[in-house]
Amino acid sequence: MRGAPIDVLKRVPIFADLADGELQQIASLFKERRFAAGDIVVQEGSGGAAFFVIRSGEAKVFLGSKEHTTLKPGDYFGEIAMFDEGARMATITAATDLDCFGLTYWDFRPVVEANGVIGWKLLQRMAQLLRATRAQ
Amino acid sequence: MNRVVLLEDAREEARFGSKAVGLGQAIRDGLPVPPGIALSGDIVEAVASGEDSALEEVLRWVRPLGGPLAVRSSAVDEDGADASFAGQHLTLLNVRSADDMSAAVNQVWWSANSDSAITYRQRIGKFTRPSVGVVVQKLLDPVAAGVMFTRNPVTGDDERVIEASWGLGEAVVAALVIPDSFRVARDGRVIETTPGYKKIAVRGVPGGGTVEEKLAKELVEALCLDDGNLQALNELAGRCEQVYGPGRDIEWALADGKIYLLQCRAITKGGK
Repeated sequence: MRGAPIDVLKRVPIFADLADGELQQIASLFKERRFAAGDIVVQEGSGGAAFFVIRSGEAKVFLGSKEHTTLKPGDYFGEIAMFDEGARMATITAATDLDCFGLTYWDFRPVVEANGVIGWKLLQRMAQLLRATRAQ
Repeated sequence: MNRVVLLEDAREEARFGSKAVGLGQAIRDGLPVPPGIALSGDIVEAVASGEDSALEEVLRWVRPLGGPLAVRSSAVDEDGADASFAGQHLTLLNVRSADDMSAAVNQVWWSANSDSAITYRQRIGKFTRPSVGVVVQKLLDPVAAGVMFTRNPVTGDDERVIEASWGLGEAVVAALVIPDSFRVARDGRVIETTPGYKKIAVRGVPGGGTVEEKLAKELVEALCLDDGNLQALNELAGRCEQVYGPGRDIEWALADGKIYLLQCRAITKGGK
């Protein structure tokens, strides 16, 4: 299977404002990635260059040593690393066998750099998410 | 330009990675390397992306190898060097058939983009798009396997240091056992033999992948190499030094009464 279905990506907030054509462009860059139950998918504090949307299975999110939430199909994680080259902000483990769609920084950045409309929409959405976070 | 070649035809590190090219050079120089093929970084990425035509191209080359297979990463960085990424990228043993190749290549591609690999790249100042080639070889079913340094990596003395255990060499590489250890002089004289404590052997399983198999009590402290094997390893060490130069770190396997070369790179730590 090539890429991720755009219906799945439409549920991801940072992509919510993109038109179908723009979303299709990004969706085609995703690659499938599978993890076995118990695998550490993302380690808080480590580097990262990929963003994931869960296709099937469940994952647990830990902040420090404290369990924070459970992610299910359609949920996503790792999106901050798509922008800032910074460290992972949580640890995520595969609670079951986990099938994800993954997008790397290397594939995503050229699309945004080449397409100002996509870049602007993403910037607006990131600003909205920042406001929402501050309001909490 | 071919995106898949026989190992002996892998010559461009910037396309196939240094592991593939190193093994290709070994075959061209007559060293006993198991047969295989090399996949370039671009076809690995295409297969990982789910491109059917790329997978079909790979399978045309893989099918004649039969199975089971070893699928090993052969990383390419902007300097064409691979050694600095040793341990960061994946090796999959006992891929049972061509049909499992897509998932195996996808896993190798992601291993170059894993968080641990990216952390390492950031640490060494190479936060750049990784490229990874792949080596596919017929997987041996070795009686014993392990590593060999062509000079002592701790003291720098001019002697072979060999570590060995039953089954696949991953038991030694991943430190799952205390391996038998041997020191052999360049003239073939065995200087020291130290039996290890080998409770398990790593072996392929019919469904694919490997398992840590518990060993019979009498094998735990029994030496897995005899003098003839040590002489053959000493000879391999000499031939590798002739081809690649002094100070080599070798992975080898003993199968069907013959020593095979699985990997040969420069010793990267210790020694004088």
